Amino acid sequence: MLGPNSRLPAAIALLGTILGLIFAANSTLDYAAHLDRRLHDVHCSYIPGAPAKAEAESCRAAMYSPYSAVLKDSYWGGIPVTLFALGSFAFFGGFCLYLLIAGQRAPAVAVGFFAAVSLTPSMVSLYMAIISVVKLGVICEICVGIYVSSALVSLGGILGLFTLRPFPPAPDGSAAPRRPAMSFLFPIAWLAALGFTTLLPSVVYASSVPDHRPYLKKCGELKRADADKDQLIKAASPRAVRSATLFEDPLCVTCRSLHDRMVDEGILDRLSLRLVLFPLDSDCNWMLDRPMHPGACTLSKAVLCGRERALQVLQWAYDEQEYLTRAGKRNDATVRAVIQERWGSDMISCIDAPETKARLNSHLHYASDNNVPVSTPQVFLTKQRLCDEDTDIGLRYTLDQLAPEVLR
Amino acid sequence: MTAEQGGVPRFVAPLVGGATVLIVLAVTCLAVLVSVRNASERLLRPEAERPQVAVAEHAEVAYCTPRFKEVLERVLHSCGLTEQGGRRGCRPADVKTFASISDDDFNALFTPLKERGAVLMFDVGKEELDEGARKLLRDRWMERRGARYFFVVARASKTGTQAKNRALSHRRANSVMYFVKELAKSDPDVDKKVGLLWLGNEFAQLSKEYCNWPNSRPDKKCDEDAINRTAFVSWIDCRL
Repeated sequence: MLGPNSRLPAAIALLGTILGLIFAANSTLDYAAHLDRRLHDVHCSYIPGAPAKAEAESCRAAMYSPYSAVLKDSYWGGIPVTLFALGSFAFFGGFCLYLLIAGQRAPAVAVGFFAAVSLTPSMVSLYMAIISVVKLGVICEICVGIYVSSALVSLGGILGLFTLRPFPPAPDGSAAPRRPAMSFLFPIAWLAALGFTTLLPSVVYASSVPDHRPYLKKCGELKRADADKDQLIKAASPRAVRSATLFEDPLCVTCRSLHDRMVDEGILDRLSLRLVLFPLDSDCNWMLDRPMHPGACTLSKAVLCGRERALQVLQWAYDEQEYLTRAGKRNDATVRAVIQERWGSDMISCIDAPETKARLNSHLHYASDNNVPVSTPQVFLTKQRLCDEDTDIGLRYTLDQLAPEVLR
Repeated sequence: MTAEQGGVPRFVAPLVGGATVLIVLAVTCLAVLVSVRNASERLLRPEAERPQVAVAEHAEVAYCTPRFKEVLERVLHSCGLTEQGGRRGCRPADVKTFASISDDDFNALFTPLKERGAVLMFDVGKEELDEGARKLLRDRWMERRGARYFFVVARASKTGTQAKNRALSHRRANSVMYFVKELAKSDPDVDKKVGLLWLGNEFAQLSKEYCNWPNSRPDKKCDEDAINRTAFVSWIDCRL
């Protein structure tokens, strides 16, 4: 059991805050680096301070998600939530150090206050972890680092309560030492200080973010509108308020995350869609000399064969993307087997029909007629192409500027 | 404030704690500020090593030599393919003029298209496409891949008058064009894709070795007469 003199709880909490500061700082600085609209490696490791890397799918998915930042409509990329973590960990760090040095002289009010507020990072972490699993389907390593750090802070805070037991009587019979009394106004002041420190980094960030408006329309336009001959997939809900053309590949990871975000945020529902299938697979796409996403041609044909259920088939392909990617790397027959298992043999007959092949080819020719970049995903609002960086962390801000009606 | 256990004055703990909060907060804010400012500066500077992304284009394969493309371009311009409302198709006299090329050199240009293209065979004096020719034409049309232009080079016969041969050759080219239009009903731009050439017997006749090319009557006898009662069709994977 922990004695009244134990400094272990404060030490545990201090360790948690140090780790939390490292993880939150890495994540925040990664986020800020992207304000230059370029691609950057990101920190994505359970090891605090591990170097940034290019392959960091889970952390990028979390970064691009609507939950990574607040006020995304007002600021390009929004205000990353890790800034709040940084500010609060700064406060917790100082408070832990105070408790660690004060030891048994720390007033019970201070120990109790810390125990109470130390739960907040864990509660936020729990909320974010649930969102990660339920909404994003991934857990980013650096996020886990912050969750664990928060748990350590909470553990330290709770264990601190066990040190509040009365001191045992002294062997010489003198009065047992007592923790000093403290006014209950102190916790109010500390709470205010916690609020201030939590918000300050965000205020600094918000006051210095650059203006991205001049860059939003600099990524080109469609040369020609689509026509019947292009045989694009068209879909529009009754709530659609703006036409948009999307170039997607069923096996493209970024397409999946963009598509999912647009669904989650209700954006897709507000768009009158023209979907261009642009598989990055040399099996059907002459613009590549090797397949980047083997099996994507067959899956694109399956989407076309879905007809009025085309978006449903595409969503299925995204949901099963990891499995289908492995199947595609094995061979096309495996991809077909998976499609047949889910959608039946009629789908396979349709995939093999020359008309389907010709229709997919017309999608690819629509891409070449417009000289779009050979990459996916691509979003065009009416004719205006959204820059790649504006479809990830800058999506809501860009829509707010170029198509505010979509967000209303 | 008095010194207590361990000799540490009572005020040290809150002082260290408070100072730590301020220092960590200051460092944090400074790091954020510097990071955002650096990103803002980079934003104003063009990226020196921005990765170049390929742009979607029509196909361009090895046989698209400068000579091939020169002839192709002349054919397209002269036969009205690249101009709105232009005349559709070329007569042999035109070909001789605009291509500035000998018979053998002209035929040699199409050699790389042996597998990509096909030879549609006709009965003597007829211009109707039989079932085999239709199937082969449909198959080849569907195999567009990244090609921009579809070429039809119709021939009539090695014998007979020039005028009669030119007329028959023209009708054969048109037969192919009509069927292509049936295949591409939804494409209003089909006229801009298909280049028609019709040759009489005075230019670029084929030798018997072209019987080895994929044709619509693989089981029937093929000789120099038969191979010149044909229309050669192929997508052309070249950009102009």
